[in-house]
This record gives sequence, structure tokens and C-alpha cells, in this order.
Amino acid sequence: MTERPAPARLELLVRREDDEGFELREVASVVGFINSRPQRVPAESFELAEVRSRVGEWRYILKNTATDRFLLLTEREKFLWERMDGHTALQELATAYVLQYGEFDFEIIPNLIRKLQRAELLTLRPASRLRRILARNRGRRIAKAVETTLFGLERVMIASRDVQPFFQRLYRWGGFLLFTRAAAVACVALAVAGAFAVVGLWRELDAVMAGFGGSPVRAIVTVKLLFFASVAAHQLVHGLACVHYRRRVREFGFTFLHGFVPTFFVDVTDIFMTSRRARVVTAVSGALVHLVLGAVWFLAAARAPAGFVQAFAAASGIIQWQALVVSLYPFCFIEMDGYHVLVDALGVPTLKHDAMTYTRRLLTGRARIRRGREAALWLGYVVLSALSIAAFVVFNIWVILKATS
Amino acid sequence: MAPSPETLAFLREVRLFAAFADADLLAVAELLRTRTLRRRQVLFREGDRGDEMFIVRRGTMLVSKEITGKVEQVLVRVEAGDFFGEMSLLDGSPRSASVQADTDATLLVLGRESLQVLTDHAPHAAAVFFYSMVQVFIERLRRSTLQVAEATRWGLEATGLDVDSR
Repeated sequence: MTERPAPARLELLVRREDDEGFELREVASVVGFINSRPQRVPAESFELAEVRSRVGEWRYILKNTATDRFLLLTEREKFLWERMDGHTALQELATAYVLQYGEFDFEIIPNLIRKLQRAELLTLRPASRLRRILARNRGRRIAKAVETTLFGLERVMIASRDVQPFFQRLYRWGGFLLFTRAAAVACVALAVAGAFAVVGLWRELDAVMAGFGGSPVRAIVTVKLLFFASVAAHQLVHGLACVHYRRRVREFGFTFLHGFVPTFFVDVTDIFMTSRRARVVTAVSGALVHLVLGAVWFLAAARAPAGFVQAFAAASGIIQWQALVVSLYPFCFIEMDGYHVLVDALGVPTLKHDAMTYTRRLLTGRARIRRGREAALWLGYVVLSALSIAAFVVFNIWVILKATS
Repeated sequence: MAPSPETLAFLREVRLFAAFADADLLAVAELLRTRTLRRRQVLFREGDRGDEMFIVRRGTMLVSKEITGKVEQVLVRVEAGDFFGEMSLLDGSPRSASVQADTDATLLVLGRESLQVLTDHAPHAAAVFFYSMVQVFIERLRRSTLQVAEATRWGLEATGLDVDSR
């Protein structure tokens, strides 16, 4: 038997923006593969037909209209094919597959890709439209500056992939207490006490906010920075939940999401290999950090004498509970914890993607209004998300106006 | 200035000069200049003009070739006792790759004029020098062939391209 060679590796030298210095990166072909974004040929270049087999299973015949080549796809392969839009990485495809079917077949994606390539049904094109536009307009100073900034920020990533021992120690040294009945009861008790405190503070809202005195904006910025630290705690708890269910935390670190949103992150995708309950607990537990911290801040505000400390504590409580809502509320165009719970429950792992595609096609006249559960879900998601974002923006403007008046 | 015994001992270990007689080695050593680089310092960039070759006395140098924008592929690491930059020295063409220091490094520099002096005054030594150089070229050519094959394998693996059944 011939032994399979180790994956090929490329050593790359990446120069810094200032042209002084560089960094070295070793990239295995496997990394290239899981980050690749396969794109099917344009809609006019293929046809898909349903056929029912003798045993009653649905199969699909995919035809390349340019070459007259045919492929027979299973329902699962069709699921993957429909998501090969040039934007979804293979890693995301695999996650969607697990969410949809509750299991993973390690060979299905590479086999399908090989099949599609043979039938010339995949094309290669850069995925990011923004990047393509920026690249086309490099001659313009602003475009060049934006591209350079995005490129620089995207490279800011402080992360470690050897974090499992750290999370295991953290779990042993007390982290396990977070996943006990007592912790759940304490969480509920704090939430109730916090809610009562909010009611009391609400009655004196103007007086509380007046505590910021002459520097409300500076105080709000400080509150936001303090909140940022709690995002790290949020991610740590996700990791602890993953360890609680005896799965592996693959990575933990800090980066700029999409090149401009500073955030901490934790990779707990290993949790997909366990039960739905484990996935839900892992998703929700991180967000509960904000519930607890918010309650503590509100209780502190309720007990503090009127003045800056009270206003600061109340604002911190608001921002923590706001983060709780944003984390758990699924309708905001952001794939946060609540969104993952929702798609898991609905069994529609690519809800946002499908909803956005359908709405875009609807608005540009390329699709007709469809009936049925699927289309209702898509439209419901887009409408609710749009309304929620608007409400969120209005609420924040109101908070700032209230604090500054 | 007369070269130090350490420099002569080092040159004796360099493949290019392994077959040199002592007198020839001394003559070459006198033609060499020393240059030091800090870690991460760039010696030259792809496309630069140049008419010198370099022998690494201490440290490690990285040779890289531009792929796109600011990303380059590392072709080889040049360690102490090995040399690079000879292509521009011989044919005067622009540098075919960029070279930078992976660690603090000390280089010995041989310019075109110095090489001409060597050829004029010690033709036997020059012949030995060029013969050794050709041997190193052959080794590098073999290594380049392997690198091309490895890069092709990377591309096939990263795209999941199945060529067996095409």
C-alpha cells in the first residue's frame, strides 16, 4: 500500500505596509482547501431537474448546458451545490451540512468538488466584491487608503490554537461551577433582582443620567471600553461550555472582524459534533455573561448615591443588557449566538444567506413571490432584521441624547 | 588590508574555494568586502540592478520571489558557507529575486571588477571557481524542479482538483 504524502506546504513572505520588515507564514494546502470558496457556473450555464428513484428517493440531474455533461446528485449533494456561490468557504459549507443533517461525511465535499470540476460546473473568482472594487480603483488615493487600512487591520490577529489545556485548567479551577443548577438559579435570581433595580432606576432616569455632569460622551466611551472587556469573558464562557461537553476549543484570540470591528473570538465548532442541547447551552451561556454583569451594574446603580458613579453603573448595565439582547436576538443580520440557536431549531442552517439572496432577487425583479414555509421564513427574517436594526439605532440615539441633554 | 586567519579558514570551508591553492585563496580574500545586516533587513529587491555576489559568512538569508502585491514565496534559505546573487554578477541582469536577512548576518561581497581581477591574475583559480559554481547551479536546478512539483501539488490539493480521472 502506498503511503499518502503529507499535505504540501508553501512558505510565504508577507511584507509590511511600511516596506520595513516582513513576516513568514507557512500555509498548508489543507488550509487553502478549507478556505476556498467554490463557485458554480452562472445560472444560464446549468439546469437542475428532480427525479424520483424506484425506491422513492429524490435524485437530481445537473446538466452543464455548455458541454452537455450530466451529473447525478443526491439530495445532500444538491444541498451543497446550492451553497457554492463563491462566498461560502468549504469550512462554512461543512458547518451548514452538519447543522442540516446532524452528521458529517468527510468525503462528500471533496468528492462532490471533484465531480463538479470534471463536469466543468465550477468557476474560480475572487469572493469579496468590496476587495474587487478597491483593487480596480487603486489609482484613487481614497480607495488605496481604504484597501491598505483593511488589509492592515485584517492582519491584526492575536490568537492561539493551543488553548485546550488553558480552557481545561480554567474549567477545573472553577469554570465547571457555571454549569451547575446552583449557577442557573443564581443567574435567574440576579436577573430578577436586576430587573427590579431597573424599574426603580427608570422612575428617576433623568436624575440618574444627569449624574454624568459635564462629560457624558467621555463617560459613555469609557463605559463602552469597559464593556469590551466583558466580550472576552463572553468568549471564555463559550469555551468553557465546549469543554463541559468534552469537546475541543480550537482557537481563542483577538482580531478585527471584517477589517474594522475589534472583537475577541473563540472557535468552538467542535461542539457541532455533539447534541443540539450542547450546542444551545454553548451558544447561550456566553451571552448570559452580559445578563449577570448587567444585573450587577444595575444593582450597584440602585444602591449608589446620585452622581457620576450611579450614572456610570446604570449606563454599564444598559450596555450589558443591550449586548445580551443583541447576542440572543436572532433577527439583526448578524450571525450571533441567538441566530445559531434559531437556525439549529428551524433546521435551516443558511437562513440569512438564503433570505438575503431571495430578497435581493425579489427586489431586482429576478424572482417571483413564493408561497410556503421557506419563503415566509426568508421574508420574515429580512423584515424583522431590518426593523430591529432601525429600532436599535433609534434606541442608542435616544440614550445618547438623554445623556447629553 | 590583509585578511584575517579566521576569514581564510572560513573561505576554505566554502565550496566555491575548496579546491583553491593557499595563494589563490589569499588573493580572493583580498578582493572581498564585508557587509553586515540586521535581522529582517532587505539586502536587495527583485528587479534591482546589481553586479555583486554574496557569500554568507554568518547568519541566514531568505531568498523570495514576488507572487502578488506584498506576498512573496520563500524559495530558499541561504546558510553560512553558501552564496547567492551570482546571476546578476555574471550577466548583468536585474535581480531575479529579493533577498533579506532572516537573522543578523555577515556577508562577504564579491564585485564584478574583483572577479575580473581574479580571472586576469589567477586564471587557474578562476577556472576552479567557475567549475564549482556550475556544480552548485546543477544542484539548484534539481531543487527548483522539486519546488515546481511541490508548488503544483499544493495547488492541486488546495483546489481539490482531480486530475487522475481527466
